[in-house]
Amino acid sequence: MNHQQDSAHDELRARFTKWLDTLVYRAKLNYLYKDRKKVETVPIDEVGEDCLSCPGFEDECIRGLSGTDEIWFEEEELEKAFKVLSPARQQILLMLFVEEKKPCEIARELNCSVQHVYNQRSLALKKLRQALGKGGESLG
Amino acid sequence: MDEREFREVLKGAVAGIHEDMEEVLRMYMPMINKYSMRNGQLDEDLRQYIMIHVALNISKFGI
Repeated sequence: MNHQQDSAHDELRARFTKWLDTLVYRAKLNYLYKDRKKVETVPIDEVGEDCLSCPGFEDECIRGLSGTDEIWFEEEELEKAFKVLSPARQQILLMLFVEEKKPCEIARELNCSVQHVYNQRSLALKKLRQALGKGGESLG
Repeated sequence: MDEREFREVLKGAVAGIHEDMEEVLRMYMPMINKYSMRNGQLDEDLRQYIMIHVALNISKFGI
């Protein structure tokens, strides 16, 4: 009996250690991701004139600021499911939920109808729910 | 600390008792320090971020 209780306690410590290890690891990844997203600033005095007059410099800066090339997902399964979606649907979801743009803005940018944006959004969310296989209520 | 004490401390930490939370952090400090290393050096900001993250999320652990 005593031996059974001890092994239950051992199991708790092992389970907690594993849980904490994952939690801490994810916290570190989150921190590094947020840190990477910080926009680096350079005093204007340190920027050479040749750099400012260089064609394409402004575009490069804007690309650096928008930085939507890589998205950090809390859930690994969601990330996998997201990658299965077509690039067009991925783009619409990113614009809706990451860039928080309105459907009418997205329609204008992508040169399509607002209804098309809504349709793609619902189809993409449906696919994600299917892939995750658990209802996906939180996806909205 | 034996396993029985560990369970009590963990229960307290999950319930939000500060002293128990501190004890859990103290126990697991080597792990926290390991994950707080950046480029071979201890990053204090990262360590603080991790500790806050643990404190905010420990209540989610099911005993």
